[in-house]
Amino acid sequence: MTQDVEMKELTVVPSISVSSKDVSSTFQILKEIVSLLETGAYAREVRRIGQAVRRTIQLRRKLKAFVLSSFLNYALTQGSEAHTRLSSYLPKEDEHDMEVDTATSATPLVKQSLPELEIYCYLLVLIFLIDQKKFSEAKSCSSASIVRLRNINKRTVDVLASRLYFYYSLSYELTGDLAEIRGNLLALHRIATLRHDELGQETLLNLLLRNYLQYNLYDQAEKLRSKAPRFEAHLNQQFCRYLFYLGKIRTIQLEYTDAKESLLQAARKAPIAALGFRVQCNKWAVIVRLLLGEIPERTVFMQKGMKKALRPYFELTNAVRVGDLELFRSVADKFASTFNSDRTHNLIVRLRHNVIRTGLRNISISYSRISLTDVAHKLRLNSENPVADAESIVAKAIRDGAIDATLDHANGWMVSKETGDVYSTNEPQLAFNSRIAFCLNMHNEAVRALRFPPNSHKKEKESAEKRRERQQQEQELAKHIAEEDDDDF
Amino acid sequence: MDPKLTEVSQLFERLKASLMRNDLDNCSNLLSQLKVMLTGFRSLPPLFEDSPNAVQELTIARNIYEHAVVLSVKAEDQDAFERDFFQLKPYYTDIGARLPPSSQEYPILGLNLLRLLVQNRIAEFHTELELLSTNALENPCIKHAVELEQSFMEGAYNRVLSARQTVPHETYAYFMDLLVKTVRDEIAGCGEKAYDYLSIIDAKQMLMISSDQELCTFITEERPDWEIKNGLVFFQKAKESAPCKEIPSLQLINQTLSYARELERIV
Repeated sequence: MTQDVEMKELTVVPSISVSSKDVSSTFQILKEIVSLLETGAYAREVRRIGQAVRRTIQLRRKLKAFVLSSFLNYALTQGSEAHTRLSSYLPKEDEHDMEVDTATSATPLVKQSLPELEIYCYLLVLIFLIDQKKFSEAKSCSSASIVRLRNINKRTVDVLASRLYFYYSLSYELTGDLAEIRGNLLALHRIATLRHDELGQETLLNLLLRNYLQYNLYDQAEKLRSKAPRFEAHLNQQFCRYLFYLGKIRTIQLEYTDAKESLLQAARKAPIAALGFRVQCNKWAVIVRLLLGEIPERTVFMQKGMKKALRPYFELTNAVRVGDLELFRSVADKFASTFNSDRTHNLIVRLRHNVIRTGLRNISISYSRISLTDVAHKLRLNSENPVADAESIVAKAIRDGAIDATLDHANGWMVSKETGDVYSTNEPQLAFNSRIAFCLNMHNEAVRALRFPPNSHKKEKESAEKRRERQQQEQELAKHIAEEDDDDF
Repeated sequence: MDPKLTEVSQLFERLKASLMRNDLDNCSNLLSQLKVMLTGFRSLPPLFEDSPNAVQELTIARNIYEHAVVLSVKAEDQDAFERDFFQLKPYYTDIGARLPPSSQEYPILGLNLLRLLVQNRIAEFHTELELLSTNALENPCIKHAVELEQSFMEGAYNRVLSARQTVPHETYAYFMDLLVKTVRDEIAGCGEKAYDYLSIIDAKQMLMISSDQELCTFITEERPDWEIKNGLVFFQKAKESAPCKEIPSLQLINQTLSYARELERIV
């Protein structure tokens, strides 16, 4: 509770004027984070480290070079390797800042340096460098931290390490050198697997998938994904990312049903704040649903904050719904740059087939008998031999069960069959089944997602205080016995 | 020049010469010798060591594998094609920037797309497609394969067949011939569902069969349930033999049991 109040007070202070009060309160929070880290490290409580990371992210905007350098003086031993290296990344502070600096860092923390603290300093400096857009420094800083991390095998460091991996990859992505670190990431993933560091594995797997997909290496991504060890997701964010990448891979490999499931789940699970991510998920989900022959509801495109971004996809959906090839072509041309930057262009090309199918279905519903010339004309097939094209397209649609009709070659027309009563088929049963399956699945997922406070089952056994008391008694007793033994001789 | 490199390039010249003469046995013999010699170069994948001759070594290796791919097409060996293509691929993707672009790159990539199409490996087809840049998609060799896939998916089979006359590269003919067979099967499958009957002339034209005799053998071998009567081919029989609607009892039992199990878990 107290933390929240503090944070609110801080946000009131305008960040432009660097008052010394602001600086000192930032510094104060950093100190609190350090104490959190320390208790976490000593008590081996991963939860506290996670808390520390979360508070750091909240602090992100307020970080200034001089605050950081005084914090480094405070947290790390002067002249140690980490201290010299990290200080070199920070810009030199001017006179004014020095005053504040001396005021805040009067009492350096004199302790043997905890690995958690050192890694935390790396993380802090790295976040600062990325925010300041000093990407080349960020790259060398993150690489140095990764080298340092390899030699630390501690569960409490894992939380910090997974964040570091993330920023490591981000700093390389921002400069467009993602391919360079692929080998390193793979090695890190292997190390994390050997150390049973599930958080690290989860983060690194996502980073690797992202790395592959950046270069459209879907084959490699799928091979890695299918062979990497799977376990229950630890962090919701990572799980969302994983689902999104999975959805993308499945879409490319034409497994639309699975792709749709993953993409929709990713969009639903993503936090409200992650607007960009949700927009991406929705874009892909719309295309996949179109490829499946479904028409997404209008509400999908009207979601808050997404209206503009989803506009091209809305028009595309409209074209597919109408089944008009000409309209489809013009939409695809009009938004070609958007589709290219979203890298959905190839998927849009695949949609052509669906547009034809919808158009054909509309024709077969409206007419009981229509000549193939008219079909070709209505579908606007622009080819040398439209009638022959139309005939074989219709034939394939009939075979795939998209329309229920027969062709008469001699007369050159298509005869639609009477649409039967849908309730005489298995269709309602199937729809009913899929809905029940969805509900049951939802229930099971909800049960699985329930969280229980850690170690609550041990509460009844003994509290820490009692244990210490008992141990003391036992020790005294042991001493007593030993003395008695001495007396005997 | 490095003696090893000289030896390889001499052998490679011989390979090219015998490929020109269509002496396939000799070619594959030379090729396996060359492949063994290539393993001696440390600058090639997967080591990628930076040796002084790296560029020359990589270029000649790429050339050799390109010829290997062409050779496998001539030998009509699809497995060998796949192997050689995957050995060649890193030269285009991983170190493409270090070498001058090869004139054979797009024809071979297009050829691979075509192979995937013929083998009906559509997922892999699209995975490969994603790796190509917009520039590459404009290349006639690639475009040919992409358009084929589209026509194939739509069902515009006559476009697939007419594409056969416009192959962009002579090596494509082999796969196009294979594709024609696949297409014929597809057309037959669609035809028996879409038509009640066809005249023999139309059926011949549609299935690209030249004589009545061939049509008869095709029907007896591939589609024994078709019937020829009064100059017409009847598909009715095939339709009747389709399984009539029945109650999917086993499926229903399974579903109901699973509901019961899940409900038990909840209550």
